[in-house]
Amino acid sequence: MTPPDSAQFPDTVVLARDLSQRVPTAGGMLDILSEVGLAVKAGETLAITGASGSGKSTLLGLLAGLDHPSAGEITLLGQRLDALDEDARARLRAGRIGFVFQSFQLLPALTALENVLLPLELAGRPDARERAAHWLDRVGLATRATHTPRQLSGGEQQRIAIARAFATDPEIVFADEPTGNLDADTGARIIELLFDLNASAHTTLILVTHDDALAARCQRRLHLVAGRAREEAVA
Amino acid sequence: MSFARLGLWLLRRERASGEWRVLLLALIIGVGSVSTTGFLGDRLKRAMSEQGASFLGADLLVTSPRPIEDWPALAVTKSARPASPLARSQALEFPSMLAKGDAFQLATLRAVDASYPLRGSVRIADRPFAAGTARPAQPPPGMIYVAPDLLPLLSAKVGDRVQIGEARFTIAGIVAEEPGQLGGVFGLAPRVFMRAEEVAKTRVLQPGSRVTYLYQVAGDPAQLAAFGAALKPRLDSTQRLIGSREGVETLRGAFANADRYIQLTALISLLLSVAAIAIAAHRHALRHYDQAALLRCFGATTAQLRTLYAVQLLTLGLLGSLIGVAIGALMQQALALLVLPDAVTRLPSLGLAPVGAAVFSGLLALAGASLPALMRLVRVPPLRVLRRDLPPLPVAAWLSAAISGSALLLLITWYAGNARLIGVFVGALAGLVVVLALLARLALAAGRGVQKMSHGPVRFGLAQLLRHRFDSTLQLGAFTLALFLVALLALVRSDLIAGWRQQLPPDAPNYFLINIAPAQQQSVAAYLSQHHLKASALYPMVRGRLTTRNGAPIASTLPPDARDANSLRRELNLTWTAILPANNAILAGHWHGDRRVAEISVESGMAERLHLALGDQLGFQVGDQTLAARITSIRSVKWDSMQPNFFVIFAPGQLDALPASSIASLYVPPDAAGVLPSFIKMFPGITVLALDRLIANLEAVFAQIIGAIQLLLGFLLAAGMAVVIATLLASLDARQQEAVLLRTLGAQRVYLAKSLWSEFLALGLLAGLLASACAEIAMALIAQRLFELPLRLHPWLWLALPVAGALLVGMSGWLTTRHITRVPPMQSIRALN
Repeated sequence: MTPPDSAQFPDTVVLARDLSQRVPTAGGMLDILSEVGLAVKAGETLAITGASGSGKSTLLGLLAGLDHPSAGEITLLGQRLDALDEDARARLRAGRIGFVFQSFQLLPALTALENVLLPLELAGRPDARERAAHWLDRVGLATRATHTPRQLSGGEQQRIAIARAFATDPEIVFADEPTGNLDADTGARIIELLFDLNASAHTTLILVTHDDALAARCQRRLHLVAGRAREEAVA
Repeated sequence: MSFARLGLWLLRRERASGEWRVLLLALIIGVGSVSTTGFLGDRLKRAMSEQGASFLGADLLVTSPRPIEDWPALAVTKSARPASPLARSQALEFPSMLAKGDAFQLATLRAVDASYPLRGSVRIADRPFAAGTARPAQPPPGMIYVAPDLLPLLSAKVGDRVQIGEARFTIAGIVAEEPGQLGGVFGLAPRVFMRAEEVAKTRVLQPGSRVTYLYQVAGDPAQLAAFGAALKPRLDSTQRLIGSREGVETLRGAFANADRYIQLTALISLLLSVAAIAIAAHRHALRHYDQAALLRCFGATTAQLRTLYAVQLLTLGLLGSLIGVAIGALMQQALALLVLPDAVTRLPSLGLAPVGAAVFSGLLALAGASLPALMRLVRVPPLRVLRRDLPPLPVAAWLSAAISGSALLLLITWYAGNARLIGVFVGALAGLVVVLALLARLALAAGRGVQKMSHGPVRFGLAQLLRHRFDSTLQLGAFTLALFLVALLALVRSDLIAGWRQQLPPDAPNYFLINIAPAQQQSVAAYLSQHHLKASALYPMVRGRLTTRNGAPIASTLPPDARDANSLRRELNLTWTAILPANNAILAGHWHGDRRVAEISVESGMAERLHLALGDQLGFQVGDQTLAARITSIRSVKWDSMQPNFFVIFAPGQLDALPASSIASLYVPPDAAGVLPSFIKMFPGITVLALDRLIANLEAVFAQIIGAIQLLLGFLLAAGMAVVIATLLASLDARQQEAVLLRTLGAQRVYLAKSLWSEFLALGLLAGLLASACAEIAMALIAQRLFELPLRLHPWLWLALPVAGALLVGMSGWLTTRHITRVPPMQSIRALN
C-alpha cells in the first residue's frame, strides 16, 4: 500500500506508514502486521475489520500509541510516536484520546459517575463533576450514577464506558470490538449511541470490529487479511 | 486532580477490599507488637535517667563488705576551706529474720543515719500502696519502716510489733518509694529501714555475718571529683565507688540488654506480619494491573502512577502504624502492670520517641514487603487494555530481593543493635524458616496419604491443601512458629520449676540456717536433735576475698576476659572440713582429709574460670588478715542439692583464728513446721531461709517475666492468623472458580463448606502437631542441656496445640472464604469476568 505523507494530509489526525509488527514465537518470528499504511482525517469514522487473529487489535494499539511497531512510522495528532517515549505518549493521550473496550474496563470500586469522572479528573478539568453528570445523562444512565459496575448489566456498563470515552471532548475515540461482549439488540443500541455521540461531538472514530453492521456505519473500512491491509469501499 | 489526590480517592473507594484490610491488619499487629515493648522500654529508660542522683540516693556511693576506716575526706578538710562541703551518710545493709507470732520472713534491713538519703526521697505511707509523704528514711527510735509486701507475709499491719534478732520494733510506716527502686520484681527479701544505732541491740550481726556498708557522699562537683580520685586507689575489688551517672549507666546497660531481647521477640511478630503484607500486596498488585493499564491509557505517566501508589501505600502505612501504636500504648500498660505492678504509677508517662520509632518500623516493613509488587504495578504496559494476558514488565529479581532484604536487615539491625546479635538473630531466623519449611513439606507429604484414604468433600478439601503447596507451606510454617513459641514458654514456665521440685528427694533440706554464732552451735545441735530434725553438718563460714595466686595479684595472672569474674568481685564464703561433703566429688588431686595443713579444695567451675590448677598457692584476705593455701584437689559440686555448698574448702585448723559463723541445712517435715517459730524465738539472731518460699518467689518472678513474653506472643499468634488470611485471600479467585464449577455440577453448599472446613481443620491440626513436636524437642534440649533435668513428655500438649491450631486456623479460614459457598454461581461468574 502506498505510504501516505503527512504534508499531503494537513487535517490528518492519524497517519501510519509501512507499519509492521513481528513477534517472536516458539516457531520463529511471526508477522502480525506487514507494511500497513493509513491516513485518517479529523472527523472521519474508520472500521478496521478482519478475521480473528488478522491483527486488528494490534493495529489499533499501535495507532493509539499503546505499543510500538517493529517497523514503520505513526503520526498521532501531529506528533511522531517513534520520537516519544512511553511517558510522552501517555501525556499525548491525556484528555485528547478516548477509548471504548470490548470488556468495558470499568474500575469495579468506583461508581458509574466516578468512572466517567476519572479521565476528566486526570485531565484536570475544572468542571469535571458537572461534565461527568452531563455525559452520564447523555447515555441515559443519570439514575444509575451511584451504582457500581457489578450492579449494572453489560449494555449499561458499555454505555458508561462510552460516556467516559467522550467526556473529555477527545479528538479521537478508539473502540475495540465495542459490541463484542453484548447480545445483538444491546449491541445495536450501543452502536446507535456511539455514532450519535460521535456525530454530535465531531470526533474521529476508529473502531475494530468483525460485526458487519457496525463496520457498515463507518465512512471507511480497512480490511486486514493475515496482517496486510486493504481499504474497501463501504457498502 | 493531582495523582496524589486520585490515589487517596481510589484508596477510599477500595477501602473495603480484602487485600487492603489484611495489609492494614498485619501492619497493625506488627507495629502493635514493637510499639508495646518500645513504649515500656522507653518509660523505664527515662525513669532511670530522670532519677539521676536520686537513683543512688547520693552523688557518690561507696559499697564495701567491711567498714572503711581510711577516708581521704581528711584531704578535703585539710584544704583552705576548713568546713567540708561534702555531706556524708552511712548505712548498713544485711539480711535478717522478722518474726511476728508464728510468722517469720527474711528481710533486707538497711540501718540508716538521720541524713539518709542525701539525694532523692524516701516516701513513707501509713497503709500499703498509698502514695505517702517524703520523709527521712530513719524511723523514730524503736520503730521500723517496712516494704508493703512484708505485711501479708507476717500477717502484720502498721502499728504491730515485730521481732528482729533479740529486739522488738514497732512498724511505723510503709516504704512507698525509695531511691534506686523501680518496683518490687524480686521480692525475695523485702526492705526494712531501721536506725543505725539500734542494730547492736538486735545482736543479729556476728563476726563473719554478711553485711554491706554503704557510704553516701553528696556535694560540690569539684570536691566530689577530688574525693573520688583520692578514694579510688584505696579500694579493693570487692569495694565499689559508684557515681550517680555511673550507677544509672550500669543499670541502664544491664537493662538495655534485657530490653533488646524483649524487643527482638516483638520483632518476630513484625517480621511475620511482613510475610502477610507481602502476600496481600502481591494480590493487590495482581488485581490492579488492569487499573494501572487503564490509567496509562488515559494518559498517566509512570511517575504519576508511582505517585498514586506511593500515596496509597504511605497513607495505609501511617494509618496502620498509628493504630498499631495506639494498641501498643494500651498493651504496654498491661505489660507494665504484669512486670512492675508496684512501680507503674511512678513511671513517667508515654514518650513520643517510641511513636516515631514504631511508625518508622511500620513504614519500613510495609515498604520492604510491598514495594516489589507495586514496582511491577507501575510497569504495566498500556497495551494490556487490549490484551489482558500481557504481564507487567518484570522487575529485576535482584532489585526486588535487594529492596526487601535491605528493609528487613535494616529493621533487624535497628532492633538487635550489635553485629553479633544481628548475626545470631538472622541465623536463627533463617534456620527456623528452613526447618519449618522442611517440616511443613514433610507434613503435607504425609497428608497425601490421608487424602487418598478419605473421600467426598474431605478428600476435595485436603486436595486443596496439597494443590496450593507453597501457600500451605507458608501458612503451616507461620502458624507452627506461633504455636511453638507459645507452647515452649508455657513448658519452660511449668517444667523448670516442677522439674526442680520433683528432682529433690522428698527429705531434701527445705530450710537453711545461716549466721549461727560459735557459741550457739552446741545449743542449736541439741535443739534440732531434741525435735528429731535432720540437719546437715554445721559448716563454719568465713567471708574472704581471693587476692593472689602464686604470690602475684590474681587479676594479673588472668587473660583480660577472665579478670571480670564474679568470684573476684565479691567476698567468698570460705569453710573448712575434714569430710568431703555429700554431693561433692574429687575430680583431680587428693582430698585433704583431716590433715591440718595449708591446703584447699576448689570447685571445678571456679578453677576453670580463674585458670587455677593443682599446686597453685592462693592468697586470701579476711578482714585485715591474710592467709595462703595450696590447691590439692578440684571438686565437682552438685549445686542444686540444697546442701551448703562452697567454692573453696580449707583443711581443718586453717580458719580457726578467724571470725566465723556457721551454716547448716535442715529438713523440716510438713507436720513439724510448728517447731520453727519456737526455734526463731529461741535463736533470734539466726537467719532461717525457707527454700519453699525461695522457690515460690522464683516461680512468681518467672511467671511475671514469662507472662510478659506471652503477651507479646499474642501478637505473634495474631500475625500467624494474618498470614493464613492473606494466603487464603490470594487464592480466593481460584477457589471461587472451583466453587462455581462444583456448584454448577451439582455440589451443594454443605459440600463446599465441608471441604473448606476439612482443609482448614487439617491445616490447623498439622500446625498444632508440628508445634507440639518442636516444643517437645526444644524443651527436652533446654531441660537436659541447660538445667540437667530428666526428660519429660507432655501428652496434653499433643491434644491442646492441635485443637487450638484447628480452631484458630479453622475460624480465620472460614471467615475469609465462607462467602464463596453462599454466592449464587451466576453472580460468581459475573464477578470473575
